[in-house]
Amino acid sequence: LALALSRPRGEDNIISEEEAAQYDRQIRLWGLDAQKRLRGSRVLLVGLRGLGAEVAKNLILAGVKGLTLLDHEQVTEESRRAQFLIPVDADGQNQAQASLERAQLLNPMVEVKVDTDAVESKLDDFFFRFDAVCLTRCSKDLMVRVDQLCASRNIKVFCGDVYGYHGYMFSDLGQEHHYVEEKPKVVKGSNEANDGPEAKKRKVDPNETTMVKKTISFCSLKEALEVDWTNEKAKSSLKRTPADYFLLQVLLKFRTDKGRDPQPDSFAEDSQLLLQIRDDVLETMGLSSELLPNTFVSYCFSEMAPVCAVVGGVLGQEIVKALSQRDAPHRNFFFFDGLKGSGVVDYFGSK
Amino acid sequence: IIIRVGLRKELADSLSSCRVLVVGAGGIGCELLKNLVLTGFKNIEVIDLDTIDVSNLNRQFLFQKKHVGKSKAQVAKESVLRFCPSANITAYHDSIMNPDYNVEFFRNFQLVMNALDNRAARNHVNRMCLAADIPLIESGTAGYLGQVTVIKKGQTECYECQPKPTQKTFPGCTIRNTPSEPIHCIVWAKYLFNQLFGEEDADQEVSPDTADPEVAWNPADAAARATASNKDGDIKRVSTKEWARSTGYDPVKLFNKLFKDDIMYLLTMDKLWKKRKAPLPLDWTEIHQLESSQEEAFGTGLKDQQVLGVQGYAQLFHRSVETLRSQLIEKGEGAELVWDKDDPPAMDFVTAAANLRMNVFSMNMKSRFDVKSMAGNIIPAIATTNAVIAGLIVLEALKTLNSDFDQCRTIFLNKQPNPRKKLLVPCALDPPNPNCYVCASKPEVTVKLNVHKTIVQALQDKILKEKFGMVAPDVQIEDGKGTILISSEEGETEANNNKFLSDFGIRNGSRLQADDFLQDYTLLVNLIHSEELEKDVEFEVVGDAPDKAPAPSVPEEGKNIANGNKDSAQPSTSSKAAAEDDDVLIVDSDEEPSSSTMEASPESSNRKRKHHDADTDATASKRKRLDQQPADDDEDIIALD
Repeated sequence: LALALSRPRGEDNIISEEEAAQYDRQIRLWGLDAQKRLRGSRVLLVGLRGLGAEVAKNLILAGVKGLTLLDHEQVTEESRRAQFLIPVDADGQNQAQASLERAQLLNPMVEVKVDTDAVESKLDDFFFRFDAVCLTRCSKDLMVRVDQLCASRNIKVFCGDVYGYHGYMFSDLGQEHHYVEEKPKVVKGSNEANDGPEAKKRKVDPNETTMVKKTISFCSLKEALEVDWTNEKAKSSLKRTPADYFLLQVLLKFRTDKGRDPQPDSFAEDSQLLLQIRDDVLETMGLSSELLPNTFVSYCFSEMAPVCAVVGGVLGQEIVKALSQRDAPHRNFFFFDGLKGSGVVDYFGSK
Repeated sequence: IIIRVGLRKELADSLSSCRVLVVGAGGIGCELLKNLVLTGFKNIEVIDLDTIDVSNLNRQFLFQKKHVGKSKAQVAKESVLRFCPSANITAYHDSIMNPDYNVEFFRNFQLVMNALDNRAARNHVNRMCLAADIPLIESGTAGYLGQVTVIKKGQTECYECQPKPTQKTFPGCTIRNTPSEPIHCIVWAKYLFNQLFGEEDADQEVSPDTADPEVAWNPADAAARATASNKDGDIKRVSTKEWARSTGYDPVKLFNKLFKDDIMYLLTMDKLWKKRKAPLPLDWTEIHQLESSQEEAFGTGLKDQQVLGVQGYAQLFHRSVETLRSQLIEKGEGAELVWDKDDPPAMDFVTAAANLRMNVFSMNMKSRFDVKSMAGNIIPAIATTNAVIAGLIVLEALKTLNSDFDQCRTIFLNKQPNPRKKLLVPCALDPPNPNCYVCASKPEVTVKLNVHKTIVQALQDKILKEKFGMVAPDVQIEDGKGTILISSEEGETEANNNKFLSDFGIRNGSRLQADDFLQDYTLLVNLIHSEELEKDVEFEVVGDAPDKAPAPSVPEEGKNIANGNKDSAQPSTSSKAAAEDDDVLIVDSDEEPSSSTMEASPESSNRKRKHHDADTDATASKRKRLDQQPADDDEDIIALD
């Protein structure tokens, strides 16, 4: 039987024996079709710190066609100890470049590439060569820009960050994201006990399933971050709104103002600034500072490795879902609070 | 000194000095080891009896293709040291149930974290941690779902506080006479493999069951029975293996006996077919005279995902019997094969035999891919679920180090958010069950059985080991003399094994004291004699919910705290199971191991047990949470959705 043993190219429909063996346990979960779509997808991953490394691992193991690791920063002792792809002697090298070898070894069937430019310097058409883009450690302005230019071209956009015990991910899968869900087939006909001698028809396997097609729409990051909280409807939904949403706004503003995230080394100064920004941001939105109690400052410094693992796992799986077009995507934010162990999916933006 | 990633200094210091044990270096274990060292844990010991397989590589990221066949614990250690050379890691390629790992060994650690895939080991580690009074973090994943919980003696439930439904088994008559689902045919095919090529087991009969209570013979049928099958007499008198040997394992003769003669015999048991579609016998010659149905070109699918026609499976049956026959001959006199899903002719045989039987019983046939899932008890697995759960484990670990047990939670990972928008659902931990047969101060159980029909061996293996999780039980009768029934010392009480309990004066109301010294566990067993147990049921634990039905204590509202869609890509045993599962308890993904992984396992009884479990339970063993609905942590109201 002619199984293609050569490495898969592009939209090849054949799965090699090597792939079938390695991906067996995931093909049994999401199906062969999904695996093929993954296998034809190219992804851009920006930022190779703790969260980035987790996402890189998850996507490479899943078997995407290509993953480009983009990061302009250099390895420091701190950044090296935050992730598991960078070798111990790599201080001073470019972060993406230093991560390349170990990343590639995770799965030789994936084309892993490196780009050492700053993402801000990239022109529009750089992004168009990808099926999905994942941004970590990026400024709000950049994320909004990339989201805007990608959404119109059906390129799936993801953002994510980890701040201490907290983390989030955002996704924009475009106005019309098509996917399938596997549902059990409705077994018509009653069981043997009820039917008399008539019950002699061919049995339908109770475990047979059917694929149902669905479509869902997403709003832009800009819309999601610029919700108007002054109207009555928004105000009434505040009780069920995770405080993490406002925490994210504060941290993004900090990043824009200071060009970096809160650092343990400048704890005193940064905490003060965070509280100030919290007051400003909430006031601008017409909301009370009580929505985000002061205690937040103690828990949003640095990247906690286990939080990167949780957020990276959810984010990685969302990218896999979007590329494989299988299963309902989370819409459109996921917030993780590592202190409580709670992970919440919520929608912000126009319905 | 750089303050470790945002942690308070005191916590960071205790991380560097504490010693932790990770049990398992597979899907969860690899992710867990990585998280532990990146968080600042310095002294880690990891144990795993398994070796690396290519199917692990989609998620066990510390391993590469070149490591296939090597020890998981060893390679995991080496890979971790590469990105954290200052970590102090000890790796054991061994079973945690080895008596070397006694209570003293466990006392070396401040924390134990399980990353296991089977209940026996979980039970055992649970008891060791109770005995040593060390906190234990339990976890499990299957597909998109996962769970983490914390166990602390005296403060929380232990792993065995809530009775867990035992592995699903099917009645003998369903397997032998009236299969109605593919899984019944697959179990039958695995039994057949053992009867023909492996270790014959009295519990794994494949021939028609004349003792089926549904059948109700009358004398007039006797003649019909006799003429229905030329081999009728042989069915009763000669074992399947002996019969096969007498024909030289002739595939055609085997085929006709199993799929024609035995089926015709079943047809004479006409009461069975009054309300069921009767089976249709196959004949070797007839099959090959039919126009061969167009075998679907597999084209863009996996080769294994093809579903062949009857001729195809007949051919596969023929080929695999011949190959297995050669394997037997090669091994020599008295040889026995062990079924292994990764051994192609063994897998071919089960695929073929199961499908032929499905065809006989008018079921849609299944591809080798699907049969392998069910026969091999394969749990689908991906990297991301394990990554999330391993992250949660470390977050709980940080709390236990501070002894903040009131902050610890059970956390469920769903596939989709619940109506409260939660994808990760933290729930408060429950206090210990005062009647737990493991962690209560003087654990006691009551077991119903027939003292005249239960042999000592069965008490040891099926009741004390399998049901009550002991590894090396010592049993004495509370008869005033302290008569020793079972000794864990090899050979000491071997003479007792095949005797009946009644031979020792055991009767209704007798009490036995069972000890497992390794687990520091004593269980008082009260016996009730009964002659009215259901067919195929050897014993019952009084107070347990019946094996197959869901526990009645789950309130209706609890079911609505949806944990999202059950992953339906994995074929389950029945649609009923799919509807009832909601909360996923710790999941056992006790995959049928390939023979190579058994080298490290010292217990041959362990091996046998694994076979039995995998035979009977083909699902991703999702367990029901039997107690009350989980209380949301961040609000005072119990969640009712």
